[in-house]
Amino acid sequence: MSPPVLQAKALAKSYRLGKNEIPVLRGIDLSLAAGETVALLGASGAGKSTLLHLLGLLDAPTAGEVHYDGERVDQRPVGQRATLRHRQVGFVFQFYHLIPELTALQNVLLAHMMATSVWSWWGRRKRCRAEAQALLEQVGLGERLHHRPNELSGGERQRVAIARALLAQPKAVLADEPTGNLDSNTARDVVDLMFSIQRQRGLAFLLVTHDEKLAQRCHRVVRMQDGVVVS
Amino acid sequence: MYRLFLALRYLLSRPINLLGMAGITISVWALIVVVAVFTGFLDVVERHVHAANADIVVVDLPSWSDSRRLMKALRDDPQVAGTAPRLLHYGLLLRPGHRPPPAPLPGRSALHGGDQPFLFVQGIDPRAEATVTGFAAWFTDPEIPAELRANDQPLLPRGGLPTVLVSLHRMQKDGLAPGDKVVLTTARLEADTKGNRTPRKVQIELVVAGAFKTAHSGFDGNTVFVAQETLQRELFPDQPDVAQEIAVRVHDQAQLDETAARLQRIVLRTVERDFEGWGQVLTWRQKNGPFLESVQHQRALMQIVLIVIMVVAAFLMLATLSMMVNEKVADIGILCALGGTPLGVTQVFLACGLVITACGVALGTAGGIVTGVYLEEVRQCVRWLTGIDLFPIDVYNLDRVPCSIDPLWLLQVAGMAFATGLVVSSLPALRAARHDPLVSLRAG
Ligand SMILES: Nc1ncnc2c1ncn2[C@@H]1O[C@H](COP(=O)(O)OP(=O)(O)OP(=O)(O)O)[C@@H](O)[C@H]1O
Ligand SMILES: [Mg+2]
Repeated sequence: MSPPVLQAKALAKSYRLGKNEIPVLRGIDLSLAAGETVALLGASGAGKSTLLHLLGLLDAPTAGEVHYDGERVDQRPVGQRATLRHRQVGFVFQFYHLIPELTALQNVLLAHMMATSVWSWWGRRKRCRAEAQALLEQVGLGERLHHRPNELSGGERQRVAIARALLAQPKAVLADEPTGNLDSNTARDVVDLMFSIQRQRGLAFLLVTHDEKLAQRCHRVVRMQDGVVVS
Repeated sequence: MYRLFLALRYLLSRPINLLGMAGITISVWALIVVVAVFTGFLDVVERHVHAANADIVVVDLPSWSDSRRLMKALRDDPQVAGTAPRLLHYGLLLRPGHRPPPAPLPGRSALHGGDQPFLFVQGIDPRAEATVTGFAAWFTDPEIPAELRANDQPLLPRGGLPTVLVSLHRMQKDGLAPGDKVVLTTARLEADTKGNRTPRKVQIELVVAGAFKTAHSGFDGNTVFVAQETLQRELFPDQPDVAQEIAVRVHDQAQLDETAARLQRIVLRTVERDFEGWGQVLTWRQKNGPFLESVQHQRALMQIVLIVIMVVAAFLMLATLSMMVNEKVADIGILCALGGTPLGVTQVFLACGLVITACGVALGTAGGIVTGVYLEEVRQCVRWLTGIDLFPIDVYNLDRVPCSIDPLWLLQVAGMAFATGLVVSSLPALRAARHDPLVSLRAG
């Protein structure tokens, strides 16, 4: 059996506030296999977002290890961590985090530009554009390629963010309350879309949510409380 | 790739950044144009000054020195093409019975000359003088109208009176014509039996021979020429061959300084007595040093003023960039999540600054060069539109505004602009680098 796409081993994180150490995560073990969907539930402040940032190598753990495809990666230098993150995971956030100056298409293309130099970009730009356009069409925004984020609805913005997360063809998608800002109908559409793409591409999918019903659609539900996994 | 792309997007969506760019453009443009004009003007002034001066002069010769022997010794040097003896004196040149005009306002006379009746009187040997300067052409200059022209032997006495050559400008201003009588009022020092030297008034009656004109109007305005004997008779009655100054023409201008050093040794050997320091050799550049340096000085001052403008432009750019960075630090988090490093992402802001600087430098340099090339057309256009003459070219005997663009200066200006641009854009970029990317990811 192949090693898990993402794995946390005894992951701990604490923040310093003055003299006090505030533990946020205290030894999390979690693994995510290819094609697997996992829901992460927990009260506000349980440390869900923090865990996602650690898994995505955006932040360094105080103790414990992060493994990608069976290899330890959390101690790699900054540049390598950025490249690994680019290849391995796509992020989707509650607040979309699109760049307001760019159109939908440009926001998606940005994911490609992150890893290419000016020269190699010039050679590849046609193909990249086609890929980005195809992805936007897949998420149902074929008509809205050249709209800016402020000209899009919340659901549409989140679809752009999903397309952006998928463009670099990551093996895992980490979604932090992707429907937290959407009404229930739109939320359902967005979630349906995410699940269908997940199945189609065989992605590992970690979904942070407060919605029990949504969580039940995943293969596995993990509950967190005060920085530990409770079930 | 994303750095350049984002930098351009950020800039294009914020027209206020044009302000910083305009600042850089204007300061680069001004530095290029103003310095080019000053450099061109300096070239012209040097050319004109040289045209009115012998290549080398030996000054401060004592009255007991044997000028014939010294000139012969100088001519033995292979670089010396000709020598001419001169007597130098000062005096008021007025028409008989006229009173001197009121003192002129100071200022213009340094460059232009000719506003005062107090003059340098050069006593020359016209034939020798023609071998060391353009003297022969000075009194036949085509700009001199026929009625003011001297004959071809201008310093020969006329009707028993010695003659004087006066500058064209002064003749026209004072309404003088060839044949007019003028009086040169001056003085000489006389030693009595006890060795005290007292000044004694000397008045020489002269006939105006005609006009002369060199390219250097400052020289013309302050100088008149008489024959060497005219001064010698009145000032050194028992020394027919006396010379206070010897003018020298050299063969090779490129070796001027070496030649001057060699001539200085010859002069010392020939006239030295009692280590009094008689006989100093000066090149035309040294002799007019203070005047040429004053123009160079003005150029340096302008450079400083304009560099200050560049600093102001840099502050403008700093302000607009800082505003932008404040707004855009929120993007750092998402760019990191997409696979950027925090340091790499802050380079976006550096790229913004450098793009602004590069555009500013490119526009400013291109504009500066174009303005420099078409400066005369620009001057005429401004005069036509506003009636203001930016550069009075006829005062300096020019047919267009002088302008000389030095490639090295272009490089220096561009380098300076890029250095300030780099400093100014790295300050906000460094601030962005200290920003924690996770903060904006959590906040939304
Ligand atoms: N930079 C920081 N310094 C100190 N404490 C922090 C910092 N970032 C997060 N925390 C704390 O860590 C804890 C966990 O935060 P986290 O955002 O992971 O919670 P969460 O489970 O995602 O909550 P929510 O459901 O509200 O998003 C919180 O108590 C928060 O106050
Ligand atoms: Mg959270």
